[in-house]
Amino acid sequence: MRLKYLFPYWCRFLGWGLVILHVPLSILGRAQGMTNIMDPQPHDQGIFGGEHLFFICTTLLMSAGLFLVAFAKEKLEDEQISHIRLDSLRWAIFINYLVLIISLIFIEDVPHMLELNLWVPLIFFIIRFRWVIWRLNQSLKREA
Amino acid sequence: MKNNIRVERAIKDMTQADLAEAVSVSRQTINTIESNKYVPSTVLALKIAKVFNKPLEEIFMLEDTD
Repeated sequence: MRLKYLFPYWCRFLGWGLVILHVPLSILGRAQGMTNIMDPQPHDQGIFGGEHLFFICTTLLMSAGLFLVAFAKEKLEDEQISHIRLDSLRWAIFINYLVLIISLIFIEDVPHMLELNLWVPLIFFIIRFRWVIWRLNQSLKREA
Repeated sequence: MKNNIRVERAIKDMTQADLAEAVSVSRQTINTIESNKYVPSTVLALKIAKVFNKPLEEIFMLEDTD
């Protein structure tokens, strides 16, 4: 089974690069007193205004980075990797909806809930996927 | 599902890496199949049987719990 629609292997490094890049940009922007459009009281500057651009440079940069990391091919993409990928996606969706439902009940801060929803599935997917692969490598080392 | 890939490999004097290369999967995949942690797809099972030149049923067997 070959999964189509995956990014090439090198996209993983590009993705981590974007995630790392968003940190200094975020700190710099906040230090300049910029607010994200997801913050509770944004100054309304419209589309492609300062806040909107800041949002693109930080939140979207990080999401795009995580997206590339999550959906880049492995060096050797075989059927077991596809299986682990699908299984991790299933877990990520489970956890995401659990967090979403709990936060819908207990939290009224909708913009931050949206932001949470942007990270949780991707981050949980990446952690779970890498953890299973790490465990497989460990068991291989133990046998060798 | 059980399998005797380990035995067949020993007969053919193949390492896990050799078999993995022959069927274009990772060593991890061969290792997890051998230790019954992963059930291969029909395509991969047929490929493995072809490497050992034996019918599928001689390499993969159903268990009572299947």
